[in-house]
Formats: sequence, C-alpha cells, structure tokens
Amino acid sequence: MLTALAALSDEVARVSPDLPLRANLSALDNIALIPLYQRHYSAADSTRQAARLLEQLGHAEIAPLRDPDMTPAQRFVTKLARALILNRPRLVIDRPGAMLYDVHYPEFIRQLAGRTEQDGIWEIHDFVWNQALYPL
Amino acid sequence: MDKLYCLHPNDASFLDDVKICLMNFIATSIESLGAKLTGWFTVGYGLVAFLVNALVLLMHPGTWNRATFDVVIKQVYFTSVQILHVFLAYSVVISWLIISIILSTARDFGLTEFATEMTIRVLVLELLPFLTALLIALRSGSAINTEVALMRVNNELDALDHCKVPPMQFEFMPRLIGGVISVIILAGLSGLLALLMAYLSIYGLSHAGFEPFTRTIAKIFDFRIVAGLLVKCGLFGLAVTLIPVVAGLETPKKFFMVPVSVLRGMMRVFFAIIAIEVVSLALKYI
Repeated sequence: MLTALAALSDEVARVSPDLPLRANLSALDNIALIPLYQRHYSAADSTRQAARLLEQLGHAEIAPLRDPDMTPAQRFVTKLARALILNRPRLVIDRPGAMLYDVHYPEFIRQLAGRTEQDGIWEIHDFVWNQALYPL
Repeated sequence: MDKLYCLHPNDASFLDDVKICLMNFIATSIESLGAKLTGWFTVGYGLVAFLVNALVLLMHPGTWNRATFDVVIKQVYFTSVQILHVFLAYSVVISWLIISIILSTARDFGLTEFATEMTIRVLVLELLPFLTALLIALRSGSAINTEVALMRVNNELDALDHCKVPPMQFEFMPRLIGGVISVIILAGLSGLLALLMAYLSIYGLSHAGFEPFTRTIAKIFDFRIVAGLLVKCGLFGLAVTLIPVVAGLETPKKFFMVPVSVLRGMMRVFFAIIAIEVVSLALKYI
C-alpha cells in the first residue's frame, strides 16, 4: 500500500517516518525549500510562506530549531508543514504512532487539522491494532 | 613426532597436486585482479557519469536561480573564507621555511640568481596548490563525504526526492563549484603571499630588486603555465568534492558503513590528488 503511495508522489504528500527532515536545516528552511526550488519564489517569500504555515499550525516557535533539537511532536509539525506546502491533492500520514510517541496523537492530529486553511483529505495509515484510537 | 603425511617430489600425484595448487593460485589471482579492475572501472564510470550530469545541469539556465547561487556562496564561505586566517598563517610558515631552505642551498652552491625562479617553481606552482588541495580534502572533503553518506543512510535524499527538490541542484553541485572556486582562490592567495615573502627574503625592503624579480615572474608565468596552474587547481577542487560526494552516494543504507564510506572516499581523494600532481609535473618537465 505504502509502496503504491510512494509511486504516486505527484499526487500524494506524505508525512512519514521514512521521509525525515534535512538534518542540517532549521524547521523553517526545511519548509521554505519547497517554494524556493519548486516554484522559484525568492528566499524571502519562501521563508515568509513557511513562517506563516508554522504560525497557522500554532508552532511558530519551532522555526529556528533543527531536527535533533526538536521533540517528536515538533518534528511531526515540521514534516506536516512541509507536506502541506507541497499543495498536493492528498495528504497521507503514515504510521503516526512511530512519529508521535510523546502525545495522544489522534487528538493532536485532529487539532492540527482544525488549524489549517487548506482543503483536501487527510488520510491516516495506521496499524489495525490502533483502530480503537480513531472513533468513528 | 610421527609423520602424518609424507610427500615425495618424484611422486606423480605430488606433481599433480602442485599443478592444481598453481592453477588455483593463478585462477584466484586473475579473479581478484578482474574484480579489482571491475571495481575501479565502476568507480571511475560513476565519477564520470556524476560529473557529466553536474555539467549538464550547470549549463541549464533553470539551474541558476537565486537559491542555487545562495548555496554556492555559502559553500565558498564554509570552504575557504572560514579558514582563511588559519590557512594564510600556515602558508606563511610553510613558505618561509621553504624559501629559507632554497635561499641557503642556492647560496651554498653559488646559485643565488636562480633562487627566485626556484622559489616560484617549487612553491607557487607545485607545493602550495598541492597543500591547499590536501587541506581542503581533509577539512571539507571528509565532511562532505560524511554528510552525503549520512543523508543517504537517513533517507534524507528520498525525502528531498519526494518533495521534488533536486538534490543535485540543492546539495551536490554547489559543493562542487564551491570546492573548485575555493582551491583556486586559496592557492592563488597563498601563491601571492609566497611571492611577497620570497621578495622580502631575497631583496629585503629595498626597491632595487623589483625589476629583476618581476622580470623572472613574467618569464615563468607565460600563458601555458598560468592555464596549467588554473586547470590543476580546478581539478584539485573537483577531486576534493566530487569524489567524496560520489563515495557518500555509494554508501549502503547501514549506519556502520558510514566510516567505511569516508575511508574509501578519502583514500580515492588522496590518490586522485597525487595523480593530478604527477601528471602535471610530467607534462611540465618531461
């Protein structure tokens, strides 16, 4: 299933433990890379977009942190912001428990989803034994 | 002690055993040589393919956006500007020592008039560019090899690929350009410093030696020598960045292989630097 998703990389933005952040860049730079290289925005515009997205997700304070200095939740927020800024029709969160082991993650993800302005569907791919965590 | 087995040199079976051993030894040696040659060919092909890929991208107008330019500037800063003071101090010490040795030897043999030419040929054309390449290889080449190997093992390259951020444009090409520019700049600066020290050592603070000194410089630095020096420094710069990047990319996705990758990469860099220097000397003096 995940291999199939990886093959659809133009349509799917993934937040996954297999897709880490660039370790020597700050959270802000990791997110700003996308508009900078994909859409050829200027460095200032890209940074502004990234900062706005982090602010929207309620984690503006993590902007200068690098991957090793982040908590699992902060790292997840950065990965999520990076996936959101890709502007792809589907967003897949792959095994959230492997990334968010320090918070009650279904609630945490729900809160983050409530803060974003973007349309689209968020899919969570989790183990069957974690199904009880997601009430219908 | 009892003999367990006795070989008789005239025995036919003994000769057969020797033949088999010899054949096995030859076969193993040929296999091992073949494996080594194939390995070297694969490494060489990988380096050339990567370089061609980088050059094609370099020519592409879309590559030269503000972001790439910024990363190149950063790389030049980290590779050369950050170590400038240490490098210049080290160049002054090395230059002063070599100039002193050349001057005292030239005086002993009554060849003082050749001291300037010898200083320029030994120090500015050969030793300083070589030492610059070694310094950049040890400082930046090893860091680049480790970083690329860690990026590969950590899946960071896959993540960049998922985000459609081209690693060649964002990570690798700026390092290659930074390495080439840095080696040329640092070798040039240390060469100028060595010329100044040579003048001061030979003529002191007097203006009297300016004319013969500049005439000797003009005689040595014809177009061929300057072009050769630039090409050599450029190749040194490529060797100390391209080889570590490719060695890092070859790393199997296992953390314990990172030191092995750096070891292999740095050995290749060392051999490449020696090879460039040997070829340059052979072209100039043989």
